[in-house]
Order: sequence, then C-alpha cells, then structure tokens
Amino acid sequence: MIDSVLSARTLTKSYGATRALAGVDVEVRRGESLAIMGASGSGKTTLLHVLAGIVSPDAGTVSFHPAAGAPVDVTGLGEAARSRLRRERFGFVFQQGLLIPELTAIENVALSLMLNGMKRAAALTHAAGWLQSLGLAGMEERRIGELSGGQAQRVAIARAQVTGAELIFADEPTGALDSHTSSEVMDALLWSTAGQGRTLVVVTHDPQVAARCSRTLSMRDGSIVSEVQA
Amino acid sequence: MNPGVLRMLLRPAPGSAATVVIPATAFAIVTALVLTVVGGAQSFWAWDDEYAMIYRVLAAVALVLLVIPLASLGGAAARLSARRRDERLSTLRLLGATPASVGALTVIESTLIAAAGALAGVIGHLLLSPLVGLIPFRGAALGATAVLLPPVMIAAIAAGALLLAAVSAVLGLRRVVVSPLGVRMRAQASGAHWLRAVLAVLALAGTFVLAQLVPSLAATVSIAALLATLFGGALALLNLVGPWALKVASRRQAKTARTAVRLLAARTVLDDPKAAWRQVGGIAMASFMAVFAGTGVSVVNAGSASNLSSADTQLVIDLRTGLIITLVASFLMVGASVGITQASDVLDQRGLHRSLHHLGMPMETVDAARRRAIMSPLLVTALGSAVCAGIVVFPLLGISLIIAPLSLLTIAAVLASGILLVWLSTLATRPLLRPAFTTA
Repeated sequence: MIDSVLSARTLTKSYGATRALAGVDVEVRRGESLAIMGASGSGKTTLLHVLAGIVSPDAGTVSFHPAAGAPVDVTGLGEAARSRLRRERFGFVFQQGLLIPELTAIENVALSLMLNGMKRAAALTHAAGWLQSLGLAGMEERRIGELSGGQAQRVAIARAQVTGAELIFADEPTGALDSHTSSEVMDALLWSTAGQGRTLVVVTHDPQVAARCSRTLSMRDGSIVSEVQA
Repeated sequence: MNPGVLRMLLRPAPGSAATVVIPATAFAIVTALVLTVVGGAQSFWAWDDEYAMIYRVLAAVALVLLVIPLASLGGAAARLSARRRDERLSTLRLLGATPASVGALTVIESTLIAAAGALAGVIGHLLLSPLVGLIPFRGAALGATAVLLPPVMIAAIAAGALLLAAVSAVLGLRRVVVSPLGVRMRAQASGAHWLRAVLAVLALAGTFVLAQLVPSLAATVSIAALLATLFGGALALLNLVGPWALKVASRRQAKTARTAVRLLAARTVLDDPKAAWRQVGGIAMASFMAVFAGTGVSVVNAGSASNLSSADTQLVIDLRTGLIITLVASFLMVGASVGITQASDVLDQRGLHRSLHHLGMPMETVDAARRRAIMSPLLVTALGSAVCAGIVVFPLLGISLIIAPLSLLTIAAVLASGILLVWLSTLATRPLLRPAFTTA
C-alpha cells in the first residue's frame, strides 16, 4: 500500500473558458521528491496551488495525511483554516524567493516561526541553525538586496523548512538562476527535504531539475499525460 | 518616437487604472489645497487699517508653516507618478528605446496625469471656497469672493503643479536611463547620520537662549520677525533631527520586537527613515506649532483680557482661529500624503503580498505592520516636536497650563483629531490590500 502524504481526486479547475485542470488524480508519496513538468499553460502551477490549498478546485478533493494526527480534507477547509494549514504544516519556495526586502536574512526565516507564536529569541536560534546548514553562516544580518540570487533562494529554502513542515511546495525554484547556481539550489532543496525524510513537490519546466527528483509527472492541457519513476 | 508607439504606450493597460488614478488624485488634492490655502491668505490683504500688517504677517507665517507638509504632499504625488512608471520604462530601455524616447514618454505621461489632477483640483477649489468663506476673522465671515483666487493666479498655480510633475519625472528618469536593471534593487537601507542629532541639540540650545532674550530685544526688533526666525530655526531643527530620531527609535524597536507585526513595522521604518519622515514630517510642524503658538495665545488671552481693547481681543481670538485652521490644514495634507503613499506602496508590493498569502501569513498581520510603520513614527514625531516646543516656551507653558487649561486642551484635542485622521487614512487603504490575500 502506498504511504501518501497528499491525495488528490478528479481535480477540475477552469478560469473562464480556459480549463486549467481536467480531472487530475495525484498521489504524493511520503518522503519522495515529485516533479511536475509541462509547457507554459499546461496547468502545472494551478495543480500545485490546488494541492497546497492556495486555490480551491471547481470539483474534486485534496486530502493531507500528516505523519501524526488525523487526515485533513484541504478542499473542505475555509480560507482562514487553509491559510493556517499552509503557515503551520507546509513550506513554500517561489521562483524569485519573494522574501521581505526590509528584513535581514535571519529575520525572514524567523518570521514564519514568530507568526506561529514562537518567541523571538528561540525563533532566531532556529533560523540561524537552518541558515548555517544551508551554507549561509555569516550572512544572517544581510538584507535580501545584499544577497546573490542563489543565496536569496537558499534563505527562501530555510524559510520553508524552519517550521518543520513535512511537505514542501516549490514553484520554479531555479527559474531565475544560471545553471551552476540552479544546481547548487537544487542540491540544497533536495538535501533539506527528501534528504531529511520530508516530501518535495516541485513545479518546473527544466528537465535537468526534474531529473534530480525521484518521480516526474508530465502535464498537457490540464491532464497528467505521463509518469516517470527515477 | 513614432506617434503610434507613443499612443500605445501612453494607453493604460486593463486593470492598471490605479497607476493613473492615484497620482491624478494626489495632484488634485495638492492643487485644491494650495489654491484654497493661498486663497484664504489673500483675503487678509483686503484690509488696510492699523491691524492689517499684523494679520498679513501672521498669514505669511501660516503659509510658511504649510509649505513643508504641502511640499511633502506634492513630493509624494510626483514620486508616486514617477515610481509607478519605473518598471515599464526600464523594460523599454532594455528593449532598446533611446533615452530621448523614454524621456519624452515620461514627461508627456506625467504631465498629462498631473493636468487631469490639477483640473479636478481647480474644481475642488471652486467648491471649497464658499465653505472656507464662512470662517470668521475680525468678527465677520471672510466671504466666498474674498477667498476665491483670480483666474491668472489659478492658472499659475496649476502650471506649477504641471512643472513639479515634469521636473520630478525627469529627475526620476535618470535612474531608469542609467541603470534599467537596478531600478528595482534595494541593496542598502537609507541612512540618517548621528551628526543630525548633534546639530539639532546645538540649534535647540541656541533657540532656547534666543527665546529668553525676546523681551529685552523686543524694543528694537520686531517681535514678529524674531518669532518667525525662532520658528524657522525650530522647524529646520525638526527636519534635521527627525529622520535620525526615527532611525534610532525604530532600530531599538527592531532589536526588541517580540511579535512579527512589531518586527515588520520597525524594519519598514528602518529601511528608509527619511521616507518615513517625509510622510509624517508635516505633523512635526503642526505639533510644534500647536504647543508653541497655543501657549502664547493662551497666555496673552488669559493674562491681559481685562486690559485689551476690543480690536486686540479680536486679534487674540483670530490668532487662535488661525492656529486651529493651520493645524487642520496641516493634518489634511499629512493625511492625504500618508493615504497616497500607502496606496502606492500597497499596489507596488502586491506580488510580495500574494506570496506572503501563499505562505499563510494573515492579511491582518501585514495590514497591522504597515499601519504601525506609519503610526509609530507619527507618535514619536508628534510627541518629540511637542517636547521641543515645550522646551522653547518652557516658562510660558507652565503658566498657561495653570491660567488657561481649557485653551490648551482645545489645541490638544485638535492635535489628537489630526492623529486620528492620519490613522483613518491608513485604514482607508486597507481595501487595496485585500485582492492579494484573496484566492480564486
């Protein structure tokens, strides 16, 4: 039996006349790194947003099965409850980091913990640990504008991990980086997720990024058209 | 540039109406307020008796006091207009458009937006004049015709708004032309040097000494001129020390912040203390003036009521009226400036806010942080300026608190209302935040 961390059934989603998801079924296995590939407009980002509870599907269900505790019907939750789920149980890495420019690197990471009610001192200690493990020791007090693209993306990875999220979503995490930096960022992302027994779902159009993942789903016109196991 | 291309680029994109509406509104408010303030002041020039000069001097002082919040509001309008084009112009430069083409586009677009705003501002002035004409001075209402400016003056002020827009656009353009890719980078926080504090302390000490000398110098020097000098010096002092004081206060807050909201708010101010000061600096002037002039008026009114002629009694009443009007006008300008800047910031940060929503950050957190980033400097500024003014008029403040507490309470109530107005203007921009925190 498959140990799923996330199960999605017959997901459909349309934006006006455009059908972004046409009855998609997905099982995300605990501890795997899953790449979702496809051309622009194939529906891969919509699928990630629906799986993560950012967007509600028109039809279909998404269930989150945490390692401990009862399953959560993501599609049945209200807006506030989904926000809380994302904040406390999921982690996110975006294409351009989208970190808060006014804050330092360590504050960007610690903020997630402070939002969950952790005291500042403890949050900063946790954040410093993650930055160090991602090769950013000594850069804690730098503002985001003082970091390179790769460094900023590693801060974003630390931010996604620091709450102990067991499921990390990444949307084109290397899309704005050169190939060398892209490889370094993927190393950091895979080490900190699947390498630690966590689960990674990454949307990408880059075959080299997908090749680093344990499984790849390819999408076209809102449907999954192929599945490749590494 | 090809006229067809120009027309295409000047046409607002669907869904981007705010990029035109907000700066146009800002210019409308600036123009209406300038016209109304100048119109109110001109009515004082209609008198030619022995008190006329005093009223003119006081009107001039009030105008000087309003210059700073007005410049802040005008600057906010111009910067907003320029900043909202940065990204598009940077793209144009990267696509190979010449600096001349980008320059022409910038100036034309800014001037057109400012012209639309200025036109609305002129209409606003025409509508406001009857209301302003109801304000009583020297025992009678000023009258709408007295405060309505002649067409030449209106045209000159509207042209000034257009010039401000064009000049700001050209100045802002330099960054885009020189470094199109660097426009959106914010590598370093803007600073505020500690030397400002040293200069401020020296200036404050000098002003204090001068204030103590007023009675002995009064025989030879016009008190009004001396007061104007004292006032000007004190205001310059506030502008000097303001950004530095905000930097120090917010740095301390950032180090000790226990919640995400406090940390975000403190870092926002620390990111650019000069910009934070520009938003609330007008309050410094209003607060300083409220304590400084309010104390003076209260003491004169209470201490010599029985000895004054009816005209002198009227002058004291009018002084208080003028003070309250200037305070209200200052707060209106600061409220408008904060509202415009906040609206612009919220629109600029929509991408970041959307990502924070994806992370699960509640809108209330972001909203509370940005509003705290305004209100915290505002309170620091208002209280700091009041303390500075209190030092300058130290003995008189104590006397007026004893002999005319009601008069001072009125001024304090106006100040509190002004702070409430700014708070409301931050609240008014909250709906702009909602789209980024709403999922499909």
